[in-house]
Amino acid sequence: MEGLLHVEDLNIEFHDHIVPETVVYDFDLDMKEGEIVGLVGESGSGKSMSALAIAGLLSRHDMKKRGVIRFEGKSILDCPREELRQLQGDEICIIFQEPLTSLNPVKKIGWQVEESLRIHTDLPPEIRKQKALEALKEVELDDPQRVYDSYPHELSGGMRQRVMIAAAMVGNPKLLIADEPTTALDVTVQSQIVELLKKINKEKKTAILFISHDLSLVGQLCQRVLVMKNGYVVEEGTVEEIFDHPKESYTQKLISAIPKCEGAQDTVKNNPVLAEVEDVCVSFTKRKGLKKETKEVLKHVSLQINEGEILGLVGESGCGKSTLAKTIIGLLKPQSGRVNTKYPNTQMIFQDPYGSLNPTKTVGFIMEEPLKNLTEMSEQERRALAEEMITRVGLDPMYLSRYPSELSGGQRQRVCIATALMLKPKLIIADEPVSALDVTIQAEVLKLMSDLHNELGISFLFISHDLRVVYKMCDRILVMKSGEIVEEGNRSDIYEHPKHTYTKELLKSAGL
Amino acid sequence: MKKQKKMNFNIILGCILLAITLIPALIGLVWTPYDPQKMDSSLKLAGSGIRHIFGCDNFGRDIFSRIMSGSGITVMIAVGTVALGSILGTVIGAFTGYFGGLIDEALMRINDVALAFPSLLLALVMVSLLGTGKYQVMLALGIAFIPSYARIVRSEYIRIKNLDFVKAARLAGAGDLRIMFVHILPNTKTVLLSSVMIGFNNAILAEAGLSFLGIGVQPPDASLGRMLSEAQSYMFVNPGYVLFTGATIVMIILGFSLISKEIG
Repeated sequence: MEGLLHVEDLNIEFHDHIVPETVVYDFDLDMKEGEIVGLVGESGSGKSMSALAIAGLLSRHDMKKRGVIRFEGKSILDCPREELRQLQGDEICIIFQEPLTSLNPVKKIGWQVEESLRIHTDLPPEIRKQKALEALKEVELDDPQRVYDSYPHELSGGMRQRVMIAAAMVGNPKLLIADEPTTALDVTVQSQIVELLKKINKEKKTAILFISHDLSLVGQLCQRVLVMKNGYVVEEGTVEEIFDHPKESYTQKLISAIPKCEGAQDTVKNNPVLAEVEDVCVSFTKRKGLKKETKEVLKHVSLQINEGEILGLVGESGCGKSTLAKTIIGLLKPQSGRVNTKYPNTQMIFQDPYGSLNPTKTVGFIMEEPLKNLTEMSEQERRALAEEMITRVGLDPMYLSRYPSELSGGQRQRVCIATALMLKPKLIIADEPVSALDVTIQAEVLKLMSDLHNELGISFLFISHDLRVVYKMCDRILVMKSGEIVEEGNRSDIYEHPKHTYTKELLKSAGL
Repeated sequence: MKKQKKMNFNIILGCILLAITLIPALIGLVWTPYDPQKMDSSLKLAGSGIRHIFGCDNFGRDIFSRIMSGSGITVMIAVGTVALGSILGTVIGAFTGYFGGLIDEALMRINDVALAFPSLLLALVMVSLLGTGKYQVMLALGIAFIPSYARIVRSEYIRIKNLDFVKAARLAGAGDLRIMFVHILPNTKTVLLSSVMIGFNNAILAEAGLSFLGIGVQPPDASLGRMLSEAQSYMFVNPGYVLFTGATIVMIILGFSLISKEIG
């Protein structure tokens, strides 16, 4: 007996190059009604491609699909456009990673939630509105009527993702495909969305295909898991099987790459102060017509970074972490207060390795740039130092002549670290250095950073929203909320005896 | 290992069209089958033949030779115009986009005023001030083209200056000028290149337009626009004249458009 969804031998090929490139090989999947299946894998493993094919959304002319996809007995791959449209938005719904771009910015929320009813049913406007409001209420939005009349930019990221879920659920679909629905969200919001998906599944018996690179989330939500790598499904099983007895080495690697919060020793050091921030306030002024609107981003922040320590700074997006980093390094001038750092002894690593390397320059050029501007070194000396540093971060010196586009995310971040090392800094400010990377690569980059810390004695200000990563890396931790540092303490104090309610909330949503 | 993209039909066709038109134009700078200035009243408005393959114009001059040397002058004016407009436009756009503030406001308002006039009209005014001739046309069109480049480059600079790699360059100790022209400028190349290509077409059309109106390249120099304006009076007597001249303009512009479409 075939279940809700049956996928057999699905192959997806791109034909925009001379040699066709296969991104998904022999993908098999069977889903029963009301089941939650997780699909995990690193970026580029083909998980999103498979999901888009199931939803019937892959229709590029330079792409070939082979195999069978049957939804309730109906073949998706060769079904005519009109029939496919009947399914999409009604029986099969999809929610995407980025809630900002998947909502139309010029339409009101209510209009967008009603869209699938407008297309698939003949309901009169009043009933449509009523149904939309119900759907918004079901996703636990506080004031459905207000949200109904809002535009997407008036809502926060978490609210937008709830709206996306409401828009998907309004027609009571049988299958909901969630493509990394929580990746762009803060930790506290992430766990709320996962809870919401669980509730929807329980109450409406909607089957959910949950795609994620975050194994711990998949463990919380799903019953069955498929692990994908390079277009192949390498392992499949129930959550317990995968987590407790992973068979494939790749799955084992994925699971061991989840940072664990145990076995770290507190090392309290009373070293001299390396950098100091005293009572710093930063605010941005925006002109809105004739009115000036001032937003305070940092409110009287003080902190010290000691020599040889890794100081963690945690908080949700928008709390002012990055602004603080930019103020410390001197990219922003504070309105009041004092910052005491020694540039160029302080360097910075940015979050997104795709944006922080100039795409038109070679790696060698980028790495030698600080030496060119600030030292009198000869070309040979510069090249020699660049070779030394790139070897230090675990890359071959031949990468010096490559362009950033030829490197993977992890390699790029290594180049960023190597560039920061060029001036032999005492302090490196790392602004979410691993958030844009896959878990296994995250672990490698973190290892590199702690090696540099141990061997070269470099201090780090480590900024992150991921409490597990911070636990693994940092000696001392600052917790930040809406521009203020609400708690400060050694690692064990923060994690075992949190004082501030916000710290407790953060720890809880990270599952600690 | 880099994967090879499939060869693109548009680029191939564009290159073929440009090769057909520009190679003779280049040869025309040093050699033409007949002296493009030499008149022969016995051949007045002769049709295509073995000796004069495109026929002769109203003064009995060989049209093929005149197209060869004329497209040379036209393309030279177009290159000069685009070079002048894009280089000055890029510098202005870079400064206004990068620094913003007062300098941006001041220069962009002047820019808006300049953009408010059609560039051909602006060039017309300038030609009447500078006098006629190919260098004057080049200068006038070049200046008239500056505002549109400044706008495009400015918006690119505003977009790019907030990217992380620019901050990284600042932390690497790079000064403003170095950031503007070493770090940011190469990143505007896709936008800049396609607008240069489109600008090239506009320049050819504008030159043809000015010469057609009689204030561009002066006789006895040949230019495609000038020839087209002459040819229209003899459209029925010697249709080859207007046909071959017009076809040359179309081929050059189509060639550039096809290529710019693909690299843009």
